[in-house]
Amino acid sequence: MKTLTFLSILALIAASGGSPLAIGEVKESGVAGAQPFAQDQIDFFEKKIRPVLSEKCYKCHAENSEKIKGGLTLDTREGMRRGGESGPAVVPGSLKDSLLIDAIHYTNKDFSMPPQKSGGKLPDAVIQDFEKWVQMGAPDPRNGAAKVVKKYDTEKARSWWSFQLPVKAPIPTVQDAAWPKTDSDHYLLAALEAKGLKPVADADKLTLIRRVYFDLIGLPPSLPEIEAFVKDTTPAALAKVVDRLLASPRFGERWGRHWLDVARYAESSGKEANFSYPHAWRYRDYVIAAFNKDKPYDQFLREQLAGDLLPAGSEPEMAEHKIATGYLAIGAKSQNEGNARQFALDVADEQIDAISEGMLGITIACARCHDHKFDPIPQRDYYSLAGIFLSTETRYGTAMGQQNRHSTPLIELPASSGLPTIPEILYPQQRATLEMEVAQMTRERDTLLAERIAARRSGNTDNAGVLKGVKALVLITQVGLKESTLNFFDASGRPKILAMGVQDRPAASQNPSEGAYDFGGMKQAGKGALARAYGGLPAFPNITDSPLYARGEVDKPGEKVPRGFLTMFASSETPAIRPGTSGRLELAEWLTSPANPLPARVMTNRIWHWLFGKGIVESVDNLGSTGHKPSNQALLDYLALRFQQEGYSVKRMVRELVLSHAYQLSSVFDEKCFAADPENALVWRMSKRRLDAECIRDAMLAVSGDLQTQPPVGSAIAMARDGMINSPRGPRGGGISEETISAETAVRSVYLPVARDLLPDSLALFDLPEPSLVSGERETTNVPSQALYLLNSPFVGNRAARLGERVMVGYPAGPNAGLAAFLRERIEYAYWLAFSRPPDNVERTAAMNFFNRFPAGWAQGSSGLAGVRDAEAAKAAWTNFCRALFASAEFRYLN
Amino acid sequence: MNHDSRSHFQPQTEPFSRRALLKTLSCGFGYLAFAGIATRASASATAADNPLAPKAPHFRPRAKRVIFLTMRGGPSHVDTFDYKPQLIADTGKAGKRPGTQLLGSKWKFSQNGSSGLWISEIFPNVARHADELCLVRSMQTDLPSHPQAFMKMHTGNFQFVRPSMGAWSIYGLGTVNENLPGFITLTPPSGFGGAQNYGSAFLPAIYQAQRIGQEGRPIAGAEVRNLASPLSNQAERTELELVQTLNREKLARDRFNPEVEGVIQSYELAFKMQSQMPQVMDLSKETPATQKLYGIGEAATDDFGRKCLLARRFVEAGVRFVEISHGNWDQHANLTAALGKNAQSVDLPISGLLTDLKARGMLKDTLVVWAGEFGRTPHAQGGDGRDHNNKAFTVWMAGGGVKGGFSYGQTDEYGYEAIENKVQIHDLHATMLALLGLDHEKLTYRYAGRDFRLTDVAGSVVKEIMV
Repeated sequence: MKTLTFLSILALIAASGGSPLAIGEVKESGVAGAQPFAQDQIDFFEKKIRPVLSEKCYKCHAENSEKIKGGLTLDTREGMRRGGESGPAVVPGSLKDSLLIDAIHYTNKDFSMPPQKSGGKLPDAVIQDFEKWVQMGAPDPRNGAAKVVKKYDTEKARSWWSFQLPVKAPIPTVQDAAWPKTDSDHYLLAALEAKGLKPVADADKLTLIRRVYFDLIGLPPSLPEIEAFVKDTTPAALAKVVDRLLASPRFGERWGRHWLDVARYAESSGKEANFSYPHAWRYRDYVIAAFNKDKPYDQFLREQLAGDLLPAGSEPEMAEHKIATGYLAIGAKSQNEGNARQFALDVADEQIDAISEGMLGITIACARCHDHKFDPIPQRDYYSLAGIFLSTETRYGTAMGQQNRHSTPLIELPASSGLPTIPEILYPQQRATLEMEVAQMTRERDTLLAERIAARRSGNTDNAGVLKGVKALVLITQVGLKESTLNFFDASGRPKILAMGVQDRPAASQNPSEGAYDFGGMKQAGKGALARAYGGLPAFPNITDSPLYARGEVDKPGEKVPRGFLTMFASSETPAIRPGTSGRLELAEWLTSPANPLPARVMTNRIWHWLFGKGIVESVDNLGSTGHKPSNQALLDYLALRFQQEGYSVKRMVRELVLSHAYQLSSVFDEKCFAADPENALVWRMSKRRLDAECIRDAMLAVSGDLQTQPPVGSAIAMARDGMINSPRGPRGGGISEETISAETAVRSVYLPVARDLLPDSLALFDLPEPSLVSGERETTNVPSQALYLLNSPFVGNRAARLGERVMVGYPAGPNAGLAAFLRERIEYAYWLAFSRPPDNVERTAAMNFFNRFPAGWAQGSSGLAGVRDAEAAKAAWTNFCRALFASAEFRYLN
Repeated sequence: MNHDSRSHFQPQTEPFSRRALLKTLSCGFGYLAFAGIATRASASATAADNPLAPKAPHFRPRAKRVIFLTMRGGPSHVDTFDYKPQLIADTGKAGKRPGTQLLGSKWKFSQNGSSGLWISEIFPNVARHADELCLVRSMQTDLPSHPQAFMKMHTGNFQFVRPSMGAWSIYGLGTVNENLPGFITLTPPSGFGGAQNYGSAFLPAIYQAQRIGQEGRPIAGAEVRNLASPLSNQAERTELELVQTLNREKLARDRFNPEVEGVIQSYELAFKMQSQMPQVMDLSKETPATQKLYGIGEAATDDFGRKCLLARRFVEAGVRFVEISHGNWDQHANLTAALGKNAQSVDLPISGLLTDLKARGMLKDTLVVWAGEFGRTPHAQGGDGRDHNNKAFTVWMAGGGVKGGFSYGQTDEYGYEAIENKVQIHDLHATMLALLGLDHEKLTYRYAGRDFRLTDVAGSVVKEIMV
């Protein structure tokens, strides 16, 4: 039920008779626990059932079977009821839900039991016995735990390297004792020497300063900065630059963006009906600030998982913690999902995926439907985590509408939190008009719906009635959009301080959380059916454990699994979840505990990846057994332990790595090393790296002199507020258009709007990762659409024109001086600005040729226009020249 | 024009592929492009020189190109190409899923052509081509969920990011017109796996599709973004030559840098696309009769008609693989109206495409495939709708070496499940590759330490449907 269209929703209204819109409700059918049976029932089992099971089934479906087929054991009550990979074999009292009954009837040829080689289909009388037995409640005295069938060897799976605590190996001795500058260099060089390799020579200073600027702040160095570094011949020259860059607010913008990739940051819900998240930017700003203030990484993780439950010393700190939980709220969601339980489980699944891939570097979500096939993560573990998130209310907002059944309130923060708001005002007159319209439309909507329901009950299905239904749906959307505007502003007309995030649901003994706005009174008593469908009454309103859903299917709930964490890291110190709470706080404690070997490794590996272009474990989001093995585990473990010991300081780790000898190597080609290690996994040189999309765009803005370094408040999506992405703005959409998304602006790229499925060209073309997925690493592609963008887009053309002006102004000549004036100097200057170096001979010659062959007027579109002034021709020529520099490979690759 | 001096640095070794070619092009890319000698790549160019150069297939191909018509959402097979009289007779009886009722098709079926294929009246024009159609009525896929099944259909896999079938096709065969992308997708959906469905994953990026337009927006007016240069030809040419000179200089300095080779290549292709793409996309070059044949100008069929005509123009110009998407065929409700409307919007255009290809002698070596990601349930959902069904659906092919007027495989009496000659997605892919002359077990790419295939470790060619 994924893509309900407007008309199909209407059809559902029409079809569902007396219970309008009550679609997708799922009956709870728990698995019966042990219960006493009458003796005659037990006798029936012993005489009629057990002998058949024993004779026909145990060969393949018992604990001591040579090979247990389909994960199904039938030699215990538990095994029978839990069932195998396809679901419960026996559901007491229900023939249709009991797969065993289905199988012995031979209705499905792929699923018929017993097999021919065991004698084939059972006699009809025996089949009837089984049916009778199931109908009497499947009495079964066989106690004992069923063997849990694993496809893997648990012990072996647990022995995977990343599931062991990191151990510090002694610092290795190396042959070239003079080479290492840091301890990490020892581990690195030892591995190279073991292969008989030697690192290449060091990078020159010009290469190095460009590298360190892009890596740390994502911008090229200015000419005075280059000059100062080149002239500084002291041993601490690089350290001085590094410390300055680490202290720059631009550092957080660069490194925060790395984390935003991991956090699958986006400002809309994505999927089938793409609703904007106009408050997501507060989480973006939180991340940038966290990197700037070097928030300890373990604290950073705790805040994102359970900030709302952490102690805070002040209102601003409390607000910061709550905004941090936006990590759990900004994921992609199926806002038009018709089944509330499916929706809740999908949101929890997305959250589990975000923490498992994003923070733990493993894929827990695989265990939603079955035990993980490769890592030691049973399905029970998945549902123990799912319970934590089902007990958590996720507040992500979105405007209610015909395509949005799951709008929620947001987290409202007090004015004393001191946070900025976007510069918009709702004037009293506007508010009054809106309130009046909402009141009117709500009345109209409710009247129409009441009429529809009454008409259907009386069997009247005429066309006029259908049209009324259509109108009602339009009104639902319009009211939703207007309500969202009213909710956006406080009574004084200023924007409220709203954020996305999570909070615990109330304990079972308290009133359930509503989880939705009271849209025009839809949530009021007597309108429950409408609210269920359109307000998304939560399927799990209170703190609860999650049932284990067979095969992950929402209509196959099994027994409840107590909330908890991954059993493979269980120890006596695993925190117990306090009664009446979701367990997120304990999850945060467990996840960041030193007893958990993964998070520190995952983050240090990513930091390495972001600085060297390739992780020590290449699959940076997967350290599990389906991922890569580390190219140098001693190095990674050394770094992970150091990260923990140094208070989880990202800046210190970055500093240590940038000041290592390895980072300062040149990227020069070496035949012998290339032959032995073509991927440069052991770092015999610095890898040549394509700049990230943001760096390419920001560098164009920086060298053209246009970059606006002042961070904006909000984003283009915040300014557009609630609505659907890329749908026409109108009564049914409230759309945010492609034009809004791609409007030219001079802010840093990290502040550009990130709507799922509608990313700005400048970022999407250069491999901004799919923002629905955790992405610790990015792709690097070279495709014609990039070439076309650089050559033909207005954005690049404007930057080139501005750089051209800058270059000409740098060497002023008279208004009619022509192209020849200061040509060599200006080329040199342009090269320094664009590439932080002078041109080589080939480049200089090519540039001179370019200008020599550039006749006046060409750029005007009609060749050889007479009378074009020299100054204009020069300007056009310089624009073209500078665009060529932007378009060249050198501009987007780091040496 | 010889300004490409590379005395600056001469490497001692030739560690990689395309250096030699680049060195021989001493006049550079500009010369090649303007001299127009690359309009049709010479067959002597080898794959090592140019990843898009035409490559010899593994065996005799029956089709040279593919037009893949994607009906996104899962069209109902029992209302279109899988005639189920028993279902019609048993309408109202209990369905296989508890609490449901069987729903026979509201559309009449009849036998068509000399082959007598049963096709529903919902496709009156396509039915006229019955003797060209090869119906595979026993398709199955893994999961009854859109994104998974949609990605499975396109990439053979939904759990991991894998190259799309179009990317595999041009990886295997190259393309005969270097001035155009080898693989083009028209109005794909942005969801359901999005760009993965036409991406190249771990194959070189040059094999990913050029996207034109997006689902839900009319194709008229859709264009390849940033295609038009703001400059005159001469100015643009001068600028490009400078860019490529600088790129070659960087490549020489770096000695080994496949990514810079990729940049150079991307400019070559971009420039050529810039000149040829607008011409190929200009439908006004077609006669009014041809436009009418495709239903262009009629409200119901205009959009899909334009896409079909574009597809013909693209394949005629040498594009190897063209995909056209149409949505939404996900009729949980409102089956009668919505399915009818969908069919109406594609029926005449597809018929026009088949007629036109045939008239031009191209149908015999163009494989046309019509497919959704799965089928639908024979029982009703909410009275006038059908739910997802991954156990049975129909895909049809035409042209390119498949048997016309032929039906392969069967579903059970109601259409719940394929019961005879089941064809899985991997089998469909293996068959399509075989029709293109590629052995799906030999079309491999080494990545992360092992050889990958479109068909993973499965797939068998359905030889019975091949001529």
